[in-house]
Amino acid sequence: MEILKPMKNKIKIFRAMHNLTQEHLAQAIGVNRQTILAIEKEKYIPSLDLAFKISRYFGVNIEEVFIFDEKTPTIIS
Amino acid sequence: MKKNTFYLVFGCIALALLAIFWYSVELHIPLLIEIAFIVGIVLVYLAKRKVTDMINDERDVKITEQATARTMQVFWVVFCAFSIGAVMEILHIPEFPRQASPIRPPVLLPPRMMGYIQLGLLCLMIFLYVGFRIYYAKKYGDFETDEE
Repeated sequence: MEILKPMKNKIKIFRAMHNLTQEHLAQAIGVNRQTILAIEKEKYIPSLDLAFKISRYFGVNIEEVFIFDEKTPTIIS
Repeated sequence: MKKNTFYLVFGCIALALLAIFWYSVELHIPLLIEIAFIVGIVLVYLAKRKVTDMINDERDVKITEQATARTMQVFWVVFCAFSIGAVMEILHIPEFPRQASPIRPPVLLPPRMMGYIQLGLLCLMIFLYVGFRIYYAKKYGDFETDEE
C-alpha cells in the first residue's frame, strides 16, 4: 500500500497567462502533450526534475506552480 | 527516422519472423526461429533508437516499469508453480517398502505437452503485460479527455 499526498498545481492557469497550448508547453520541456494533460488533471505527479523544468519555463518558483497539500493524505493501492 | 517509418520497419520484421517461424516448423529446425527472433528483436531496438520524433518521457517510463513489475510478480508465481510440478516429475522418490522390481524411470512430460504449456505461459505473459499496461496508462491519465 502506498500513501500518496495530493499535489495540486496551477499549470493550467500559468498556461492561460502565457497564452500557451499543452502542445507548446510539452514541446518546450521535452515531454508528451498527454503528460501535461495528466499533470493538469492531477492524475500524474511529475518528478522533481520535471516540476523544476515547468516552473522555470514560466519563470517562477516551484512552490508557485505546485502546491503540496500534506493535510489530506490519500491512500492508494 | 520518422515514427511511421519505424512502424513500417517493425511490421516488416514481424512478417519476416512469421515467415521464418513457418519455415522452421516445416523443416523441424527450432534453432532457426530462436536465432531469428533474437536478431529481429535486436533490429527493432536498433531501429527504435534511430527514431527522432518519438518522445519517451518519464510518465511513459513509469507506466512501462509498473506494468513490467506487476507482470513479473504474477508471472513468476505461475511459472514457479509449473516448474515445481515439473521438478516433482523428474525427482525419483523411493517407495517404501522397497519393491523387488527394478527402479521405475521418472515419468516425463512429453515434448508436445511441454510446448503447449510454454505456449500457454507465453500467452499469459503477453495478456498480463497488455492488461497491466492499459490499467497503468489509464491510472496515469492516458485516456483523459482533452478540454482544448
